[in-house]
Amino acid sequence: MHKIWLIIKREYVTRVKTKGFVIGTLIVPVLGIAFAFLIAFVGSHQPDQSLRLAIVDNAGGLAPSVTKGLEKESQNGKREFAVLESVDRPPQPQAIEEGFRNRINAGTLDAFLVIPTDLNQAAELHTRNPGNFQVLGPLSTAVDQAVIQARLSARGIHVDGIGQIVHTEDLKVIKVGESGESVERGQTIGVAIGLVVLLYSALLAYGIVTMRSVLEEKTTRTMEVLISAVRPFDLLAGKILGVAAVAFTQFVIWTASLALLLAYGALASAMVNPNSAFPEIHLPLALLFYMLVYFCGGFFLYSAMFAAVGAACSNEQDAQQLQWFAMAPLVFCMLIYSFVLSDPSSRAAIVLSEIPFFSPVLMALRISLQTPPFWQIALSLVLLILTTVGVIYGSARIYRVGVLMYGKRPTIPELVRWLRYS
Amino acid sequence: MVTKGTFLDAISLENVTKSYDSVTAVDGVNLQVRQGAILGLLGPNGAGKTTTIRMVMNILVPDAGSIRVLGQPVSDKARESIGYLPEERGLYPRMHVRALIVFMAALHGLTEQEADRRAREWLDRFELGEWSEKRLNDLSKGMQQKVQFITAVIHRPRIVILDEPFSGLDPVNAATVKDIMLEMREQGSTIVLSTHRMEQVEMMCDSICLINHGRNILDGDLRAIKRSYGKNTVQIAFTGSDGFQNHPSIIGINRFAGGMEIKLKPGGDSQEILKAAVQSGAEITRFELLEPSLNEIFIEKTTRA
Repeated sequence: MHKIWLIIKREYVTRVKTKGFVIGTLIVPVLGIAFAFLIAFVGSHQPDQSLRLAIVDNAGGLAPSVTKGLEKESQNGKREFAVLESVDRPPQPQAIEEGFRNRINAGTLDAFLVIPTDLNQAAELHTRNPGNFQVLGPLSTAVDQAVIQARLSARGIHVDGIGQIVHTEDLKVIKVGESGESVERGQTIGVAIGLVVLLYSALLAYGIVTMRSVLEEKTTRTMEVLISAVRPFDLLAGKILGVAAVAFTQFVIWTASLALLLAYGALASAMVNPNSAFPEIHLPLALLFYMLVYFCGGFFLYSAMFAAVGAACSNEQDAQQLQWFAMAPLVFCMLIYSFVLSDPSSRAAIVLSEIPFFSPVLMALRISLQTPPFWQIALSLVLLILTTVGVIYGSARIYRVGVLMYGKRPTIPELVRWLRYS
Repeated sequence: MVTKGTFLDAISLENVTKSYDSVTAVDGVNLQVRQGAILGLLGPNGAGKTTTIRMVMNILVPDAGSIRVLGQPVSDKARESIGYLPEERGLYPRMHVRALIVFMAALHGLTEQEADRRAREWLDRFELGEWSEKRLNDLSKGMQQKVQFITAVIHRPRIVILDEPFSGLDPVNAATVKDIMLEMREQGSTIVLSTHRMEQVEMMCDSICLINHGRNILDGDLRAIKRSYGKNTVQIAFTGSDGFQNHPSIIGINRFAGGMEIKLKPGGDSQEILKAAVQSGAEITRFELLEPSLNEIFIEKTTRA
């Protein structure tokens, strides 16, 4: 135990003293804040120019009310749409449409709307940029309202300002949890995505730190003297725990600075405008606890895998290729997390979040969205712990053989043989 | 010669074999190292010396045979009593010199205060005091070598295994290392010295073990081995004619400045050579009948095999 402690201490002290640690610890919060501002900026981004629109009204008589509806949708004094031209019941609609198409290609028009003769059919939006989802909502609202107004007129009901009659507020979402209800303003999803990104990047980053650390002892040939004084298992354990201590230090610094920043932000916004609602972020203690548990489990699992990769390779180039074995499950988590996010209690989400290589990210995600039944959490933890112990055992064996092997990168059958080597 | 290892042996190997894939690196080696002795582990490059050492260090596991250290089978525990200077040198390059030595010493069981005290002593002895707070990779190769040597002996191990300890050292530092090794023997340590510098072995070693192609081909007490070869070597220093060198009793000549070393054929008479030299007109300043040098024995044994 004393030797493991010495290894932990050396790993910690030499790592915390490096410029890389100091810079990393300072830069990550700065970058995080910069990203948050960037996302807020992009999210609230208003179009610089109005969308230049033309209307082909085959039904007849709807174009003016659509145009009026689009005017109303404009916000902040900026017009989102500029209706350049509208054609009422053209004799040859194809020719008109062809003309608009040419104008779109020439760059003098952005889109044109085709209202069908039969109002039971869908209207069409012809546009150069179908990915601009932001314009679809206001456009379809305007068309809807114009159609409703036309139908009402057909039954003899004449109304002005149909928009005010049919307008309703958006749904207000309230999250139901065991500790009560809280108004949802997107913070649950925000916290969940933040959690996934944090777990993914932390597991990956510290895994690679562990791998590099093993590799450094090999490439500098320090291993040979170390191994003459310490058992490989102690060396592996000390190294992983040492990097864990570094990670913990970094997290404490980050969390403290984030908490300070949030407190300062809340205070500042309360002083500027006492009524402003600074979004309250709910981080229940239970979630923090589970996050820590899954992070620790994932950390030991992935660190052991990365350490084995480091032990099996003798230079950075080889390691970069072999590290995909350890990285693949993490990358897979990133590819499918949005699927779990949209339906956290689907059968697929339950199964995936029980798999030990994914549970550190996916089960933590599910817990942050809606607390799963306790047996699912317990099962995933048991599986995670068992797998971690198994992987550490296997890694220690690969480590034992690999740390003194130099030369070519081992093949998979060789690695399997190392596992059996006693 | 196979003798059972007794508790008197610091290290004992019996029929130890180790293969890598298709290559047999060590093939049935037997070796006994007496406690308090200095053993020279000799052999050409690739003979299996480093593999043998690594098995004693329990870094590699033999395929067959048994290894005992101080009477116990090798284990992670047993190797704590061994100081090791591996052939593959290397220590954490970015650590500060004294912190590094203290760390290695603490791993070998010293308290940190004691390790620090001894580290200062050793650094002074090797004139590295002013480098204590420098990073290892700011030091020259020779200085790094000295640091590595310190880490192998600082915990006063009962057994020290030194693989090429003199490589890269200037004569002054090589002499310091030699003095330290002799001091350690006096204090009762057992030393295994693996080297290609035969003159160092002749000066320091009590016994030798010569390995070639993974087998030990010669081992035992160094004096006894040399004696067994008999006095078959003549060193002659002279000026003038060397016309005697084709004498039928001579089977080998090794020239040096102002003379030559002559190897006699078995049963050859040295007096015949002396006569021939005088007759040929050489002016002889020294004529000596000797046991063969270890260098000669090494070359004879390893090239014949």
